[in-house]
Amino acid sequence: MSIVRGDQIFSIRDIIDSQLETRDKIEIGRVADIEVELHADGTLALTDLVTGPQALAGRVAGPLRVLFQRLLHDRFERRIPLSEVEEFGPTLRLRGTAEEYSVGQSERWIAHYILRWVPGSGHK
Amino acid sequence: MKKWFSITLGIVTATGGFLDAGTIATAGESGAKFGLGLIWAVVLATIEIILLVEMVGRFTAVSKKTYADAIREDFGFKFYLFPLLSEIIAESLLLAAELGGIAIALSLFTGISWHIWFPVAALLVLVMSWRAPFDWIENGPALFGLLTLSFVIAVVALGGPSHDTLVTLWNPDVKQGDLADYLYLVAATLGATISPYLLYFYSSGAREEGWSGSSLVLNRVTAFLGMGFGSVGSMALIVLGAIVLRPLNMNANTLGEIGLAMAKPFGIIGSLLFASVLFVTCLGAALEVVLAVSYNIAQGFGWEWGENKQPVKAARFNLTIIIFLLVAVVIRLIGLDPLHLALLASTVIALFLPISLFPFLVLMNDPQYLGNKVNGRLSNLAVILILLIAFVVALVSLPLEVLTGGG
Amino acid sequence: MSIWHWNLRITSRRNHCGFWRKGSLCGLLLILIGLLTLTTGCQVNQQAFERIAGDAGAAFSAASTTLNYFHHGQITNLYARASFEEYQQELGGLDRQLPLQQGVPDKHTIEQLLVVYKQAMQVIDHPCLDTLCNWHIQLASLDRASQAFLKAGGQ
Repeated sequence: MSIVRGDQIFSIRDIIDSQLETRDKIEIGRVADIEVELHADGTLALTDLVTGPQALAGRVAGPLRVLFQRLLHDRFERRIPLSEVEEFGPTLRLRGTAEEYSVGQSERWIAHYILRWVPGSGHK
Repeated sequence: MKKWFSITLGIVTATGGFLDAGTIATAGESGAKFGLGLIWAVVLATIEIILLVEMVGRFTAVSKKTYADAIREDFGFKFYLFPLLSEIIAESLLLAAELGGIAIALSLFTGISWHIWFPVAALLVLVMSWRAPFDWIENGPALFGLLTLSFVIAVVALGGPSHDTLVTLWNPDVKQGDLADYLYLVAATLGATISPYLLYFYSSGAREEGWSGSSLVLNRVTAFLGMGFGSVGSMALIVLGAIVLRPLNMNANTLGEIGLAMAKPFGIIGSLLFASVLFVTCLGAALEVVLAVSYNIAQGFGWEWGENKQPVKAARFNLTIIIFLLVAVVIRLIGLDPLHLALLASTVIALFLPISLFPFLVLMNDPQYLGNKVNGRLSNLAVILILLIAFVVALVSLPLEVLTGGG
Repeated sequence: MSIWHWNLRITSRRNHCGFWRKGSLCGLLLILIGLLTLTTGCQVNQQAFERIAGDAGAAFSAASTTLNYFHHGQITNLYARASFEEYQQELGGLDRQLPLQQGVPDKHTIEQLLVVYKQAMQVIDHPCLDTLCNWHIQLASLDRASQAFLKAGGQ
């Protein structure tokens, strides 16, 4: 399956595990998995990029995904619609800034709730 | 002018950075137990690490990707887990050993127990990795590590090895009951020098400093000369052990007694020089190890990373550093003293070398990343041969050593 | 149009299948070699008792050298103190450990060793690191222990 953008064709393999970078040059994570839609005419369309520990567990072994889903109460699966991707390549550049995406939320959480108590962390 | 300064700095830091808890422990024990009979292992390990360091510098300079980035992107998440897990286990042990080395060094200066200095050492490493810029971390401790060359001066001052000792260079005196011990030290010597954490550290450092294709010459020169000089310091320590400790039937089973080999020619200054070398080399190595593991994880999972950023700007990366230091403090509770921990960590590293280096070799031969700068056939063969030796020896000796409660 | 949430398990960008199969075979072979060596390895290895006794002898020798160097002004008081703490950790509890090891010699030899051990451990626990005590006696005790244990270790 491939995506055609202009003259370039990207396959699933080029997207999975790629780095996600936002407009303000922040690296928020990597693509763990993808979601697709099956159209009536038999073609598959890529709809979302998926990140998070549940999806990663699924990459190791299928049943692990379900296990992690239960353990984590399905709270850590993050999606980014494909329309958010502005530029394809080894790094996928996204339209928005880091704050606009739920992916990489843990970064802000850790900075705010844990690191701020350590002197010199740069937290304001 | 600036280029020559960079090259000199690179050589100096590689020289000073060669020694650490693992190499000091193995060198001391090798000399004390088997005379010069393990120098060949140091030579072999040095050749291997020179090849690997030059390769990883070339890889990152040309492809602009760090090693961990490339593993995840090229091999996929599932196979990324293998080198990741092996690194986490091996480097956690090694980090605990390096902190132990710092603690022992501080105890030799102050007379205060190393158990008390251990968490202080962890804190020191945390403070430095928290705020110090990458330059300081890479160059600071290593500059002081030049003190290693005092080992060479000590050998000269003692008149070099006697004829009987010299013979052990090609004819090591290994009695039948000692064979397992000898093999364990071979594996530990190889693992102590051929450290995969260096691959993660150097490739991340090359990105932090913005290396490009034009840095290739610098990279090659610093790899050869720096590691080469560094290995001389390590070999000098083996010779010192052979000249001073072996005739006294000492086994160099504690780090402090290795320093006695420096006290013989130089008295108090010699012993304190040894303690200083132990301190700075273990500090430098501890920083590199904890950063290497954190770089590996952050890059593999696609998080923000970097020593030149404020901690809150790379929150997950910095939290990883803190967690690993805590893990190292917990590992100390196993009860192994720093020297034996260093030997164990080095042998485990040797055992895991095929997992750590297999992806690296595949990448180094991929023109997609390197264009026409891929590996030559000879370097591939050399790297594979040496790592197989390390692996087989580790596989054989580790269970034997554990079974007989030795080390 | 039907919507499928399909978790594609494409694991990597390169096909490593053949490589991994060969790799696993090599791995198995190496493990077999390792196991073989392990079973025959007991012959190339010392008995546990000899190994531990030999290490103890070496440690007493190190302690003796350290004490000697200190009293000849070659190391500081603090350095010696820290060194003895390391020896304490290495040698402590040996009287309980030794009799239980594989390859233990006769009862008489063990008893003699333990006598020398106890005397030497008093030095290890309280080394004479000032000028007031008679460190020569301590040195002799450490040397005796060192020689006895090295002999028991087969050297």
